[in-house]
Amino acid sequence: MSLKNIVSIKSWNLGAKVTAGAVAWLVVVSTLHCWLNVNWAAVLNSYRPPAERKIIVGYIPVTCQLTCPVTDYISKYSESGEMFLPRMFQGFPELKEALIANKIQAAFIVAPMAVALAAQGVPIKVVYLGHRNGSAVVVREGGPITNFGQLRGKIIAIPSRFSDERLLLFRAMQAYGMKPDSLKMVEMAPPDVAGALQAKAIDAFVMGEPFPSQAEMGGYGRILFYADKYWPNYMSCILVAREDLIQNRPEVVQLLVDGIARSGLWLDASRPHRVDAADFVGRFYYNQKPELLRWALTKPMSRIRYNLLEPQKKDFDEVRDMMIQTGVLNVKIPFSAYTDLRFADHATIETSWKYEPGDAVAK
Amino acid sequence: MKSHTWLKPAIFILVLLGVWQLVVFLHPQQLLPGPWKTALGIVDLFPRGLIVKYIVASVFRVTWGFSLAVLVAVPLGLVVGWYRRAEMALNPILQILRPISPLAWIPIAILWFGVGDLAAIFLIFVGCFLPMLLTVINAVQSVPAVYINAGRNFGLGPVPLMRKILFPAIIPRLMTGLRITLGIAWLVVVAAEMIAVNSGLGFLIVDARNAGNRYDLVVAGMVIIGVVGLLLDNWVRSLERSHALCWGFEEKQ
Repeated sequence: MSLKNIVSIKSWNLGAKVTAGAVAWLVVVSTLHCWLNVNWAAVLNSYRPPAERKIIVGYIPVTCQLTCPVTDYISKYSESGEMFLPRMFQGFPELKEALIANKIQAAFIVAPMAVALAAQGVPIKVVYLGHRNGSAVVVREGGPITNFGQLRGKIIAIPSRFSDERLLLFRAMQAYGMKPDSLKMVEMAPPDVAGALQAKAIDAFVMGEPFPSQAEMGGYGRILFYADKYWPNYMSCILVAREDLIQNRPEVVQLLVDGIARSGLWLDASRPHRVDAADFVGRFYYNQKPELLRWALTKPMSRIRYNLLEPQKKDFDEVRDMMIQTGVLNVKIPFSAYTDLRFADHATIETSWKYEPGDAVAK
Repeated sequence: MKSHTWLKPAIFILVLLGVWQLVVFLHPQQLLPGPWKTALGIVDLFPRGLIVKYIVASVFRVTWGFSLAVLVAVPLGLVVGWYRRAEMALNPILQILRPISPLAWIPIAILWFGVGDLAAIFLIFVGCFLPMLLTVINAVQSVPAVYINAGRNFGLGPVPLMRKILFPAIIPRLMTGLRITLGIAWLVVVAAEMIAVNSGLGFLIVDARNAGNRYDLVVAGMVIIGVVGLLLDNWVRSLERSHALCWGFEEKQ
């Protein structure tokens, strides 16, 4: 076969044509994907030596974990530069699996899940809290239910059996003298509950923000009560770090906790701070409408608080005991076995970020 | 004559869209968006190039998962189909693995590959590999004995026999298998992207759910998934129509 014949595609047999077409397609689609979608910062990070590698912090798009994107955004735009790589997940099961497999080194998860994982031998430690309050029981707007007692026998959606929201319901039932089985609880993905309430598939739901706000804004949901009504200083999402990270690179964990603490103070500083956070987190991180987050963060501001974030033994013992009572935990694991308080202790000296709302926009 | 082949389906789709719009119009309290809102949702995806990004991401994962599955399954299927003992040894485990939905592998995919392209590609591979392998094994076993005897008369050993007789003989059935498997790959990628990655058409849907009341984007995602799936299927069909590949079937009128 002469060179001319090889170059002219027409003379190729069918097998060669199909193979060449397939290879060309692979190259084109892979190049496009690398150009459009691959996060090169994350790829390059995994090739750095372990001591210099940035840790990956997992979170899901709820306001209980707002300090994570806020810390990332402000640290990028202010003095210290990027501290960690935030990685958004869509649900707790995947987040938990990635944490167990050491694909991420720290994460925001719900407190009972952290206690349960630690009790099952997963090497993680609670290092800080994400927020206080921030969850609410929501019923249908214009519906018949006006107090918690009327929910007897009704269907109410909870985010997970390992959620503080579920424990909150048990506390409210205690206050109303209801039996533990007097509510029909169903586990539901948080993004689906507002639609389910509107479609009358459920009678109520208990979720973290911004899902109560979503139902309120849509005009079909009404807040029955916020979590702190039956559980003062209620906490749900907390920050956990893997034990190997704590042992080998405590300074990195400290930097992360300090950053979260500073973001908490920053978020509680004033209303404009929260409005700014709603704007940049909605647009660059959660991909939610800033109006929705603004509603959740400012109507009123006490809906969610980002102070008093040091883990307290009393709070966690309460969570653990309620988990045992309601049958989702079977060991009385001590507080000291799954917490590391030195980072939170050190973070108490931190002050809010020197970053004024709207600084990045002005730039 | 030619224009009528697309005219009827087009009219039918228009009628369905009209009914959909009407139903949505009559029930304004429902969250389900109508076709008009859905179209606006699709338009919403254009400015930031999201639509292109997400389609590329999904097609990329399907391409790799599907190609790897075919590259492994076809040679393996030829060998297993040819050697009776290999089939006897492998058959029980294949039959146990076959009914397991590829989605059941999601937790394991995340544990092994973390969250990213690899996990999604692995899930597509798992979803495509077994159907492809079983198609090839079946096809090899139903190759007419006269082809094989002819090959043997020419003194072909096992490897040349597979290359020159078995492989060409199964191509028509292989094409059907490829088409069905590509459909499976497209089903799996959307589900995998809802969990394991941060881009792609499946992610578009789950992200729209998280974004609050954006059911227009959910339905927009469904429409795009359907259209891309249709295009992929048409592309394999065009290969099927090639006589050189589908010589085993009767000529269509």
